[in-house]
Amino acid sequence: MILRNVAIRHGRRALAAPLRRSFLRTLTTDTLTHDTSAIDSSLQNQLKETHSIEANINALHLTQSFVPPTSASEPTDAVKDAYAHKQHIKKRTLTLGSIVEEEYVPDSLVTNPPRPEDVTLELLLASQSHLGHSTSLWNPANQRYIFGIRQGVHIISLEETAAHLRRAAKVVEGVAYHGGLILFVGTRAGQAPAVVKAATMAKGCHLFEKWIPGSITNGDQILARCGIKVVDKDDVDITYGFEEKVAEWKALKPDLVVCLNPLENYVLLHECGLNNIPTVGIVDTDADPTWVTYPIPANDDSLRCIQVIAGVLGRAGQEGQRKRLEAAKTGEVTWLPPPGLGKPETEQDRQKAANRVKKVVAKVEEEDAQVKSRRGRLLPSREDDEL
Amino acid sequence: MKVSWLPMSLRETLQCACSPRPMAFNRQRILNLRPRNFTTSTRLSAGIAAPEIDFNGQNGGEGSPDYEHVFYARLLPTSPSYFTAQPHFTDDLLALRSLIRRYENLPTVKPGEAPRVAWRSLPDYRDSVGEMVKASKYHKIIEALHRLNHIHPSLMPDPVKDALNLYKRDINPFRNVTKAGHIDSLGRSLGAGRRKASTARAWLVEGTGEVLVNGKSLVDAFGRVHDRESVIWALKATDRIDKYNVWALATGGGTTGQAEALTLAVGKALMTHEPALKPALRRAGCITRDPRRVERKKPGHEKARKMPAWVKR
Repeated sequence: MILRNVAIRHGRRALAAPLRRSFLRTLTTDTLTHDTSAIDSSLQNQLKETHSIEANINALHLTQSFVPPTSASEPTDAVKDAYAHKQHIKKRTLTLGSIVEEEYVPDSLVTNPPRPEDVTLELLLASQSHLGHSTSLWNPANQRYIFGIRQGVHIISLEETAAHLRRAAKVVEGVAYHGGLILFVGTRAGQAPAVVKAATMAKGCHLFEKWIPGSITNGDQILARCGIKVVDKDDVDITYGFEEKVAEWKALKPDLVVCLNPLENYVLLHECGLNNIPTVGIVDTDADPTWVTYPIPANDDSLRCIQVIAGVLGRAGQEGQRKRLEAAKTGEVTWLPPPGLGKPETEQDRQKAANRVKKVVAKVEEEDAQVKSRRGRLLPSREDDEL
Repeated sequence: MKVSWLPMSLRETLQCACSPRPMAFNRQRILNLRPRNFTTSTRLSAGIAAPEIDFNGQNGGEGSPDYEHVFYARLLPTSPSYFTAQPHFTDDLLALRSLIRRYENLPTVKPGEAPRVAWRSLPDYRDSVGEMVKASKYHKIIEALHRLNHIHPSLMPDPVKDALNLYKRDINPFRNVTKAGHIDSLGRSLGAGRRKASTARAWLVEGTGEVLVNGKSLVDAFGRVHDRESVIWALKATDRIDKYNVWALATGGGTTGQAEALTLAVGKALMTHEPALKPALRRAGCITRDPRRVERKKPGHEKARKMPAWVKR
């Protein structure tokens, strides 16, 4: 029974399995001799190669006619001509064919941002400013800005966004009108172009990398090497008369900070609060609106929304600057100079100061001489010791 | 609901939460609601933020008595990058990026084919700017320069050229080309080599494979077979023993040093005759100078590293 079982167990496998190569090799002799000869020849080949591998390589025609590549290839005019040709064709065929009326240009929000009066609910909706965060991330202080919940995500009320954005635009315009310094901050990846554009329009400052903690509270240390200039009411540089005062002047502080991502910039907002600097910030549903003075409830994760808001605020700043300069032309100045700056130093002032110093020096010298002469009269013998 | 014990901010929030405004998405109810009067004004005094600006109050304050005699001047940062604490660096980076954006449609060369340029080193840049720029930040400038450098040379605009020139090193090391060897009127090429304390010069002429070192034949000059092989190793590795005559002078050091100095000298002289052999000679080790020297003796040691024998007590 056992034997029969063995046959049942192993018979099928033994029949089905092909013969192994090793068995074949033990049976036949010719394959073995073939193998050994192959090994022999490969060994010899190896020896030959190691003997003079370079000689073999050098025998090649390729290496004999080898020319090392030159580093600087001559610039050919073919590319230039082709490019000119392409531009020519483009120019000629521009007016042909159908007219594309509405065209989506990805960076148009950066290059040509909307004005505060262009802000519509449609624009805000199209730029995804209504999308908040998951309801589990909600900061309840934002209750009043929230329209509802959709698919577990808070929806920000666009009316609130528009109203707060318009108010913030008014504030930015007002600060620019009153000659304040506006700082635009957006430190998330991709926010840099919008931040720089807004700062350029509002003639303010920009920051798109990490806020250095203490730049306001310890600015004299951190911003010591950053240059300051003096401008008059028409924004023309005053180059003469303030050099000494400017060199000793404390580090500047912004008059308004626009922060596009308050969550990552708590330190900055805290410093602003300590120094009584008002702040504008985009407050998403997970952010705390009490961190900023003027919250704008909107989606701070969408670059498009960021571009719209930064652009609107930048335009507002631009408008404020324009109005300020216009007022300055008519003689009305909308700001007061910083206390302690005073009037520029003229040449006469400098001469007076120099004369005063001379007088003091002369007086001191005179007194010295008097003291010496008195001492010489009293103790003539000690004069030699002093010398 | 009694909320008077709460701080101001939470109080407002809770009042909002308890207001009859529907949170559910009930279209009918929302449509029936009268338009809500909302206000943007907040009195969230509990937060960290500064109070709101009172523009009217500021205007009223301007009516100071010496209003007419005020000299109007105000202070502004020279650069809009003032608050980055590295204004020069940030301005440079923005200028380069704006150049890239302006000329991004110009045709470029293939990735490896741009002219090789050595950009200014980080310490050099730090000196010129006067700011402690981090290496990772300077790398951003280098990346921008790299992109600009890939604009096709025939279409390179002048502003880009000027910008690139600002960041180029004064001397471009990639334009340095090693001097090719010289074959004199008699068909000789000279090569020099050094190893250990030895110096060797070798003249190579096309010929039949004769070798003279310091006026002696190879067998007389070197006792070891290995040294004899070393002298003509450059010719042997390239199968050219019977095609050149060598006349060499070797001074200083011992036999091994002289022999291996001659390897270098013969290799270099051979390269003058046949520059295409350079890769083969390099693989054969005939171009590389062996920089090893005798290690100096140190105090407390008997030789360079040997310590005196340790004696108990």
